[in-house]
Amino acid sequence: MQISTHELKSKIIEALKLQDITPEQIDDDAPLFGTGLGLDSIDALELVVLLEKDYGIVIKDIEEGRPAFRSVKTLAEFIAAKRPAA
Amino acid sequence: MANRPSSLNSQLSSQSSRSPVITGLGIVSAAGFGTEEVWRAVAAGTSGLKPLTLFQSPRYGQIPTGEIQRDLIALGAPTRSSRSDKLGWLAAREAVADAKIDFTNDGDRAGIILGTSVGGSYDSEKFLATLIKRGKMRARATRFHECSSTVDLIADEFGLLGPSMAIATACSSSALAIAQAAEMILTGEADVMLTGGADSMSRMTWGGFHSLLLVDAAGCRPFDATRGGMSLGEGAAILVLEAEENAVRRGAKILARLSGWGMSCDAYHATAPHPQGAGATAAIQSALRRAGLEPAAIDYVNAHGTGTRDNDIAETIALKTVFHNRVPPFSSTKRIFGHALAASGALEAVVCVEALRRQELPPNPGFTKCDPAVGLEPVVEMRHAPLTHVMSNSFGFGGNNGVLIFSSPETNPQTRAPKKIEVAIAGIGVIGPGAVTIKETGSPLPPGKGPVHSCGALADAAMLTPNQRRRLSRLQQMALITARHSHAPDASQRVAVVIGTGLGCLEDAGAFIENLVAKDEREPMPSRFPNSVHNSPAGQVAIDQAARGMNSAPTVGEITFECALWQGICQLATDEADCALAGAADEMDKYLLSIGQRWGAWNEKIRPGEGAVVASLSPAEKISSPLARVMAVKLGRYRKPFDAAREADWISSAVDLSKVEIFLSGAKGFRQLEPLYESVAAALLQCAGKKLGHQTYKQLCGEFHSASAFGFSVAVKLAREKSCGVLLYTLSQRGAKALCVVQP
Repeated sequence: MQISTHELKSKIIEALKLQDITPEQIDDDAPLFGTGLGLDSIDALELVVLLEKDYGIVIKDIEEGRPAFRSVKTLAEFIAAKRPAA
Repeated sequence: MANRPSSLNSQLSSQSSRSPVITGLGIVSAAGFGTEEVWRAVAAGTSGLKPLTLFQSPRYGQIPTGEIQRDLIALGAPTRSSRSDKLGWLAAREAVADAKIDFTNDGDRAGIILGTSVGGSYDSEKFLATLIKRGKMRARATRFHECSSTVDLIADEFGLLGPSMAIATACSSSALAIAQAAEMILTGEADVMLTGGADSMSRMTWGGFHSLLLVDAAGCRPFDATRGGMSLGEGAAILVLEAEENAVRRGAKILARLSGWGMSCDAYHATAPHPQGAGATAAIQSALRRAGLEPAAIDYVNAHGTGTRDNDIAETIALKTVFHNRVPPFSSTKRIFGHALAASGALEAVVCVEALRRQELPPNPGFTKCDPAVGLEPVVEMRHAPLTHVMSNSFGFGGNNGVLIFSSPETNPQTRAPKKIEVAIAGIGVIGPGAVTIKETGSPLPPGKGPVHSCGALADAAMLTPNQRRRLSRLQQMALITARHSHAPDASQRVAVVIGTGLGCLEDAGAFIENLVAKDEREPMPSRFPNSVHNSPAGQVAIDQAARGMNSAPTVGEITFECALWQGICQLATDEADCALAGAADEMDKYLLSIGQRWGAWNEKIRPGEGAVVASLSPAEKISSPLARVMAVKLGRYRKPFDAAREADWISSAVDLSKVEIFLSGAKGFRQLEPLYESVAAALLQCAGKKLGHQTYKQLCGEFHSASAFGFSVAVKLAREKSCGVLLYTLSQRGAKALCVVQP
């Protein structure tokens, strides 16, 4: 199932309380961590909570999520692949 | 460094009689009670981890944890206390009996400093759970919430009237507490100190560490290739630390020496350690310097070794950096006890002292396979070895590091003692109602308006980065802003940060537990948890200022600020820092207001307040035009019933009253302290032979734990305006007291 990257960006902005930024300003392929949005390991944990709350995907080891957290695009692909069938 | 030049030795010999020795131990843990039982578990590598029974945990209840599953009341612990208090009390009873010491006649020379970071959370959480699930307000459960509750309880039990302090720097708390207790003895502030730490399990730390995905579902396996995180635990350990001359005089058995200690801060991240172990390396090197030892003198290291991927790599990099290819035998005992957070450094101090006494190396249960990223193997089985000097590492949230060195009694201590220095205030930052910086407090401060003294929206929040604004709690932001007003970051300086707090980030801690209880551990708030530790304001200031010196957060009721001042000055006096940022901060929140309402604490005159103050301190010779000087800081406890004449004597023994014109007290706050302040003001008239003008500050800032920090800023202002000495005198409701003198 495809995930709207626009919707995902809105959720990320809300979950991480990102200020002065709109979904349109986030590039699908831009790195989320380090450079790019400048997120850190605690933001990654907030994304873990988001994945469980909104998509029913449980991550128990942060290493498991690391490849998915590279960009909005990789995260959307990860959700599409892992999301339990509705 | 191992053999100092003889010219120094003559100077040291007079100090050696003040050198701190350990004469008693007490320990309660998941691995056993008492040193004998505990050592049997340690030597055999028996893990005390079991599934949780203390409270319901729908998601994680089966995960092994170091919970103490004994009836603490049946063992004699007082009923009117928190779980942490009970653990601490039981450990203190054993330690005092072990040292065969009695404080009846010399309580004035004995004090207590403990590391506690959970405090009474376990009990206070019942208040929140009852409120959220049943809509009932049961405020009594919060009576022992404060981290200093354990200190006050034990001090009252044994009649300790010397300095008393709790330090809350998360997992390094008791290492810092033991180090500060040693400074009290070296400086002659006390002859005997009970020290160590106590922390109980709580829903907060349980849910918090799970939300950070830092818990190993199979139980922690420090340094193992397949390790998956830490195991939580609880416990308490108390050491009787005393000046060698005191121990010799009373014929006490000396178990070991505390010969060195070092503190540092990574100034890197709220939860993750510096990847290259830079702060850990600095703390180990500082401890070696303080002890006057070369790295090769260390025979064993009790590692912090939590079992998280990051800690174990960073810590072993630090060991390799300090010891090169000669890393001493090391082990982590975390699988035996669980990670007892603030108490862990104290539990491991007991392990170190017992290892020295028995000449045995403790094993590292949980380790089977070497991790190539670690590249070192810990001790796998208990074995005999000649041990003279052993080291204990403790690293906490906020990159807060404390390292202790214990030595056998036969060694000749080379511990460097603090020097007497004159301390100048280079700058001060104040957030309070109507006050922002010292420049703007030139005329009488405007009285607060309305029912509370709220600092409102933080006017200077614009100076913070977007990440600081979105992530940090209000209290952390207050600390950052005041620190920046007091001091401009300077990479050439070694900066220590000591910012205390009475109650910490109430808003974030409350929100985190509320959410945990309401949602049965689902959808946790991982970014709120790191803010809930009391050292998070100090830790964030360190990151903001790149301050890599000692980082501490005393929490001692109304005298929290004075304890921060004492700790900061101590870092200057030991030449471990060029500058110390000493301060305190507290915020108001809905629960504090409503519990206070329930207890009738607030009225027309006594209004709740909040605020933050940070002062930048340096040795006077390094500051060309200081705002003022700090001439004295002294900590202690008052007798019950209160004896004003004795208080006046205590003050006059520490202060040159001929240079003081103003007595600035914490009156106009909580009612029960009011007559005490008035009686001391009157008694001082007899001592000083002149009338000191009695002034107060709580009418300006309201009542809150860190209010004396605001009082300090008023003292600086008065000293400058009136060109006279100002004596700031503060009492805590639970028996602690402090004085400090500010002069132009």
